[in-house]
Amino acid sequence: MSGQPTAARRRLRFGALEILAVGAVVLVVAQPRLVSMFDNPALQTAATVFVSIIVQALPFLVVGVLLSAAIGAFVPKSFWQRALPANRVVAVPVAGAAGLLLPGCECASVPVAGSLMARGVAPAAALAFLLSAPAINPIVLVSTFVAFPGQPQMVLARLVASFATAVFMGWLWLRFGRAKWLRMPERTHLEGSTPFHTFRLTASHDFLHAGGFLVVGGLAAAAMNVAMPSEWMESISGNPVLAVLGLALLAVVLSICSEADAFVAASFTSFSLTARLAFLVVGPMIDLKLMSMQAGIFGRAFAVRFAPTTFVVAVAVSSLVGWWLLS
Amino acid sequence: MTREIQSIILLLVGIATLRISWGTTYLNYVKESMRPWLLVSGVILVVLGAWLLIDAMRARPASGASGAESGTPTEAADDGHAHSGPRAAWLLLIPVLTIFLVAPPALGAYSASRDTTNSIATDRSMAPLPPGDPVTLYLSDYVTRAVWDGGRTLVGRSVSLTGFVLAQPDGSWLLARMQLNCCAADAFASKVRPVNIPPDAGLLPEGTWVTLTGTWIPSEEVGTEETIPLVDVAGLVVIEEPTNPYD
Repeated sequence: MSGQPTAARRRLRFGALEILAVGAVVLVVAQPRLVSMFDNPALQTAATVFVSIIVQALPFLVVGVLLSAAIGAFVPKSFWQRALPANRVVAVPVAGAAGLLLPGCECASVPVAGSLMARGVAPAAALAFLLSAPAINPIVLVSTFVAFPGQPQMVLARLVASFATAVFMGWLWLRFGRAKWLRMPERTHLEGSTPFHTFRLTASHDFLHAGGFLVVGGLAAAAMNVAMPSEWMESISGNPVLAVLGLALLAVVLSICSEADAFVAASFTSFSLTARLAFLVVGPMIDLKLMSMQAGIFGRAFAVRFAPTTFVVAVAVSSLVGWWLLS
Repeated sequence: MTREIQSIILLLVGIATLRISWGTTYLNYVKESMRPWLLVSGVILVVLGAWLLIDAMRARPASGASGAESGTPTEAADDGHAHSGPRAAWLLLIPVLTIFLVAPPALGAYSASRDTTNSIATDRSMAPLPPGDPVTLYLSDYVTRAVWDGGRTLVGRSVSLTGFVLAQPDGSWLLARMQLNCCAADAFASKVRPVNIPPDAGLLPEGTWVTLTGTWIPSEEVGTEETIPLVDVAGLVVIEEPTNPYD
């Protein structure tokens, strides 16, 4: 058992470094050919959109992993027991409301929620936080206010609908969720010798992990951005039901940062305010890059159940809130 | 995935981030306000990567004379994780390579031709134009003033507009420029139709950057979100792509 696997593993590892080195040389040599491959305007546009999604998300991801690493390394587990009500049904809305405090976009909240679960916070509460933080934080609400001049009810509607969706999803998990769907982040190997050591190891690990999945989502979003015909949008804006579903799906596909999505939503002027609300509620909670990151951090079994359910709940809640506040 | 490779990937992502935000390349992808955040993130990633590398190098002598990277209990545990864990980190090389090898350009004619909405309806009252003859305007500002304010603030003023040539099926061209809300994933286009262009300028290749000076002239169309306003060209200069290619 001890001898051969170790040797095999060593060879494999050596191979990885080698691949990196040889790959670098080949790529540098082949660079002119690579660039000419990207001469196609559609491919070039997709590459630009891809890089810009990653570049835009990167600082938020860095903030998110630093925060989650700090939670893991410096905040004692007992803190969460004191900060959150012991009753889980009550803990869900409290955690959801705590989302007001994390001024980041959705890329930051995925590692933070993972870290909260690893520190013993009830999954239902951590999930409510995961969904609400990117949607209702102050930066997002202010940008919504700026993007919809003269329509402050849009800010209220966004706050109410996002919070309600997050809390409802938390309670759903409490009632129907199964612990085995969640592949809880395995973190024992990230325990360093000092809290600072742990902090550093966790931050590096989480960045590499979540960043890799961000890349998958960014690639998918860039491809859709270029492949999607722009005309179909206009054709559905007249039908109230299709309009809501269409913009909700578009939010999933575009994967825009929650701090900018209000400006994009504002530009869909042929759509009803309710449809645009659905765009704003769905986008920060579930989009291609988030699905990919959630699958990476919480496991595939979780993501295939959580993502579609979130979508349905978010669309339903936005329609209700839109009917109540925006019509 | 060994600590060494993790640290190299962290370093590469950090260096790529610094590389684009140190100069002006980042303006092809995001807004100017992102720059400090990108610089700080780049530094943090480089520091994390360098630290991890030092860790790995320190751990080496303790693991025996063979020079193998592993041996300490923590490293062994990390290895067990490698098959489910940050293997995804390899994917981070895709954007790094795209930035260094392909260097995707700013969005241009292809995106502009796909965007059919030209300006969003507004009932905001337009402030008078600032002084200047000609006065330099963003293309989007000109479009909004022309379409939603009936050109009221543009009457009698000479304006200077910068954008790129967007070829039309009928052989004419529009002056277009992209604008970002946040990043290139949410970009949209503004377009104006130049009239009375100098005859030789009719042959400008698509994507050429030009600065037009001219005056607003009314069109008979009723203003809609697709309306492309006109500008009567008095002067046309071909220029280099601006440092910030977006409006």
